[in-house]
Amino acid sequence: MSSIALVGNPNTGKTSLFNTLTSSYEYVGNWAGVTVEKKVGSLKNGAGKLIDLPGIYSLHPLSRDEGVATQYLTEESPEALINIVDASQLERNLLLTLQLLEYGKPTVLGLNMMDVAKARGISVNPEVLQSRLGITVLPLIARTGKGSGQVLSVLEKTSAIPRVTFKLDYGELAEEAIASIEKELQAIQGLPNLRWIALQLMEQNPVVLELLKKRVDTSRLMAICDSCQSELQSRKLALTLPQWIRSVRMDFIRSLCAAAMDTTLIKPHNLTERLDAVLTHRFLGLPLFIIFMYAMFKTTFDWIGGPLSDMVDGFISGPLSDGANSLLQTIGASGFTHALIVDGIIGGVGGVVVFVPQIFILFLMISFLEDSGYMARVCLLMDSTMERMGLNGKAFIPFIIGFGCNVPAIMAARSIEQPKDRMLTTLLLPLMSCSARLPVYLLFAAVFFPAQQATVVLTMYVLGVVFALILCKLFSKYLFKNESSVFIIELPPYRMPQMKTLGRSTWEKGKGFLRKAGTIILAGSVIIWLMSYAGPSGLNVDMDNSFLAKFGGMIAPLLHPLGFGTWQAGSTLVPGFLAKEVVVSTMNIIYHASDAAGLEGQISQVFTPLSSVSFMAFILLYTPCLATVGVIKKETASWKWTFFSIGYSVALAYIVALVIFQGGSLLGLS
Amino acid sequence: MASTSCSLLRLEPGSMGSIQRIEGMNPILRRRLADLGVSEGVMIRLKGKGPFLGPITLECNGQLFAIRRKEASMIEVNVS
Repeated sequence: MSSIALVGNPNTGKTSLFNTLTSSYEYVGNWAGVTVEKKVGSLKNGAGKLIDLPGIYSLHPLSRDEGVATQYLTEESPEALINIVDASQLERNLLLTLQLLEYGKPTVLGLNMMDVAKARGISVNPEVLQSRLGITVLPLIARTGKGSGQVLSVLEKTSAIPRVTFKLDYGELAEEAIASIEKELQAIQGLPNLRWIALQLMEQNPVVLELLKKRVDTSRLMAICDSCQSELQSRKLALTLPQWIRSVRMDFIRSLCAAAMDTTLIKPHNLTERLDAVLTHRFLGLPLFIIFMYAMFKTTFDWIGGPLSDMVDGFISGPLSDGANSLLQTIGASGFTHALIVDGIIGGVGGVVVFVPQIFILFLMISFLEDSGYMARVCLLMDSTMERMGLNGKAFIPFIIGFGCNVPAIMAARSIEQPKDRMLTTLLLPLMSCSARLPVYLLFAAVFFPAQQATVVLTMYVLGVVFALILCKLFSKYLFKNESSVFIIELPPYRMPQMKTLGRSTWEKGKGFLRKAGTIILAGSVIIWLMSYAGPSGLNVDMDNSFLAKFGGMIAPLLHPLGFGTWQAGSTLVPGFLAKEVVVSTMNIIYHASDAAGLEGQISQVFTPLSSVSFMAFILLYTPCLATVGVIKKETASWKWTFFSIGYSVALAYIVALVIFQGGSLLGLS
Repeated sequence: MASTSCSLLRLEPGSMGSIQRIEGMNPILRRRLADLGVSEGVMIRLKGKGPFLGPITLECNGQLFAIRRKEASMIEVNVS
């Protein structure tokens, strides 16, 4: 099996092409840094494996996702490369292309976004590129899949892709240095192309330097670079060696672009300019963002999501439960089985499935934000606020993704350049209210604040963001060295998301929720139900004497000051650590409610409006779920920070819930 | 016409200048800008300024991006 790697600048459509060429589906979006981990898929024609790498501008990584791509190229050996370039941004894209050609593997150039280039009045001539670079150049429109057939047929036989013969002359001085470095490296086994290694070393690429340090004493190599640099300086050719290499490449690219591109008819990004004039307006931008968010919540909870959820609830509590009941009676199921299925599984899982419509609509909205190009603008709008808090605006992309699920959001933090900013973002992300916490708010808001559901839910989300910002300030002041953060963000052209892409990415996000309903929520429901059904005195006990009550009762005294010191509330919190949806399943089981109305009635007897707010805030903040803890450990590579993220959130949740309940009580609220 | 050099921040929104010098900038940012093709001799356009003294939007080689004012002030441009 041959393996072929997709390489290119960020946001040039590598993943879109990956999705059309393979039978797998990976996450796409319209900003730089969507793909943060290498993804492997099988080519549709069975010719081998395709590897999708995070976008890079050069082989010199700055952020962690870029490190993934560079490391792959230095340590593994793909048979061929597909270099995707953005036809509307050719000059910048070709800088990477040259480095890839020096890498020496058979390469195909995918000239993507031909439609975008055409719309901007740029015409690119693939033949000129093909003859000057000596590689196959294929025009593409990856978003629609146009041209992907040709790519697939070229990849059919990777051995037939011609070897790269391209060689750029770096001038007498540099060429001498390259030759001496190559000579030094000859003895070492298993290195990729030596000329490429030499050039990357001369450019001070840290990954290549690390690679060589493991094998050889690099001081001689560095001496060659140094003497070449001082020679360049004394002849006034360049200040540094990397600068010289870069300028030779740029000269070549400019002459190539002049020959291959016709920009006489170039037009500005009309749509993007007009939208940006309003959406990033210095006074209107932020209020508009807030209005969009509010509209998004209104749609999700009141306008569309709510009525749909009611329909699902009607089905589960009506036909489904009744059907199950009569079926179980007909087949003569035992009392145990009957209770397990109706109270445990239908009650527990069904109680969460009710919220599927809202969660899918929320995911649809997030997908729209991701695909339109507005995400990057939000970062721009939020940067000055974030800077004051010690972070940068780029962290807002993970924050918004976190409203869907914290796990991919923490991964998304990889594209943040500075380690301190990345760590802070990772630690604070669990405060972003994910879709799993949503059912809890929806349930309580429906019981206690039926008229202001969207407002209550939005308040919870805002509360999460506000605490993230406050803690960000504290953490960056006391926990990290005071390195200032930098901010730079590429603003991609806006585009209208395609229905197909939106549907696909919504489904891919929502699928995880459904899968959880069938696995962890189902398992959790069965265990919780068993614990409520069994007690020290045997099976089918009164629930107040069950193991669940005993267990919840141990935690209850701790929760008393927060306003929900009952065993029922206590026993929801521990399974909630596994998956936050289980909080609602547990409540369904405990309160023996077959439908939402029954549950709502039960809850209104145990909670008060004030204690419900305190409980919602507690659920919002109390701990990252198990899956999130796993990914925090993976990304920070530190148990210390992982436990810290659990510890601070539990403490924060307790304090906030305490202040809400005690403060509210003092003010005479109940 | 005589050309004058000034900080990028001094440009009128919508106007452009050629980069003369970039000095004292954080090396990470400097590299990232170079990745986007922002270096000496290149034309750069100031598109707009963000809220609350926030970042400014720039255009270079047809690519839009934003950086903070503090850093933008380290880019010196020539206006003719």
